[in-house]
Amino acid sequence: MRARPIHYLLISPAQLLLVVTILVPSLWVGWLSLHEASFGTEARFVGFANYARLAADPYFWRAFLNTVVVVNVIVYAELLLGLGIALLFAGGLPFPRLMLAIVLAPYAISEVVVVIMWKAMFEPQAGVMQLLLGALGLPGLEWAVDPVHGLALIVLLAVWHHLPFTFLLLYAALLGVPKELHEAAKVDGAGAWCAFRHVTLPAIMPAILVALLFRYVFAFRLFSEPWLLTQGGPARMTEVMAVYLYKAAFRYHELGLAAATGWAMLLLSLAISLPYLRAVRRRMFADAA
Amino acid sequence: MRPERRRRTPLRRALRGLAFLAVALWSLFPIVFVIHASFRPPATIFAVPPQYLVRPTVQNYVELARLWPEFFGSLANSLIVTLGATALTVAASALAGWVYARRRGRLLTASAFFMVLVRMFPPIVITLPLFPAVNAAGLSDTHLVLVLLYAAFFVSLGTWIMKAFVDQVPREFEEAAEVDGASLRQMLRHVIVPLAIPGMIAAAVFVFVFAWNEFLFAFVFTTTRARTAPLIISEMLGSVTGVDWGPVFAAATIQLVPVLLFVALLQRHLVAGLTAGGVKG
Repeated sequence: MRARPIHYLLISPAQLLLVVTILVPSLWVGWLSLHEASFGTEARFVGFANYARLAADPYFWRAFLNTVVVVNVIVYAELLLGLGIALLFAGGLPFPRLMLAIVLAPYAISEVVVVIMWKAMFEPQAGVMQLLLGALGLPGLEWAVDPVHGLALIVLLAVWHHLPFTFLLLYAALLGVPKELHEAAKVDGAGAWCAFRHVTLPAIMPAILVALLFRYVFAFRLFSEPWLLTQGGPARMTEVMAVYLYKAAFRYHELGLAAATGWAMLLLSLAISLPYLRAVRRRMFADAA
Repeated sequence: MRPERRRRTPLRRALRGLAFLAVALWSLFPIVFVIHASFRPPATIFAVPPQYLVRPTVQNYVELARLWPEFFGSLANSLIVTLGATALTVAASALAGWVYARRRGRLLTASAFFMVLVRMFPPIVITLPLFPAVNAAGLSDTHLVLVLLYAAFFVSLGTWIMKAFVDQVPREFEEAAEVDGASLRQMLRHVIVPLAIPGMIAAAVFVFVFAWNEFLFAFVFTTTRARTAPLIISEMLGSVTGVDWGPVFAAATIQLVPVLLFVALLQRHLVAGLTAGGVKG
């Protein structure tokens, strides 16, 4: 049925929320990025000078590199673990409600509490994980001193926190694969790996791509975990882009620099999601016709 | 792929059992660790060698109330903000989701695409212009600013979930009621709302969990009166004299147990909502 004016009225609360609190401020950041400003001072047009300063700032490139590495490790570690657990569960699940509740539990936890858990477990002297590593004859994780260890701990707790999302999308997709397909492959003499590779994997590929894309876009925003764990330290070596932006704005009061970082993050997010957005747009407008 | 009953050797069964155990341990160990630690006498929490079998005590909770009395007020703030954001998101999403499921039009489709598009915008970016704007509007350190921001970041997902649920309800239900001469109010009460409730619950679960746990916006936009529980906990973690772990574990336990139970109870809706809002998004 065609939409009438009343229907536009019904979508207006949702649309207004998005326009006023997300769209307009985001565009405003684009404008800010072309100006030199601090909170409470008059903005002065400087063209692309903020971007030039970003490009010349080694701390920005360090944050950018950290983000690229950390996001990729997080996303693919989640994909492998999530797929593994989804396959395990799809092969027959004892106590399904309980097991699902257990796997979904990290989803319910606040980032702040997640940081507390892992910070305490990796407490340098007496954390239970440090003692465990020691008992296995391994060196402890010096996350407060060594930037690589710090980033590794950030990856570990991000993966723990967000695994339920990837797992759930893949598990739902696996349950949707028709059993007959798998049996047909078996009848044709396919081994377990072969059946997975040529039947299961193609069938769940759309879900894998959606999970990957959303996790890329969301992991890219990573802020609370590094902020609460290391504040980007030592010596700004564990900053990610969001932490760099926050410090530029609220610690160094370099609003133009922060805005340029923000606009870069926005454009990168849109670039990552472009294939998905195009597919969605094509389907939507095909439906609308 | 349905659970298949192929014959399994005892070795294979044992390995699968171990795998399930490993998954449960991975998910639950950090949570159990914090809850357990909150009931340990402070001196034993980081004792070497570790002491796990100690007599439980509420000493950490007493310390929490003594040193951080504002934590309990922050729980009330969290609850107000969470309920406000959930109500606003569910109401706006239900209206919009219904329209997107039932009506067609180019402009409508364009607005639906816009909703998908803004989901990709990073939240931290908007703090830059909003921080001075919120101050100028006198909204700094209020519940309202958090309610609006949380609702804005979940209204797209909420609308998508609602649309997916309404799509599953045959249009004939509404048409039959209309033919039977039902008034708009009767339609709403007996047809539309009951059919929309599962979608509304699914949409609510996501905002509720997000708003209860959110850190970034609370960190930027609240300073004293409207501080939420995660923010107070982060302040306990960042005190200059070093972390006083006992009260931190107690506060974390109080903050996490309700939402953990909430998710466990509404698990079915979470799963339905995620698959509807994510895959078909």
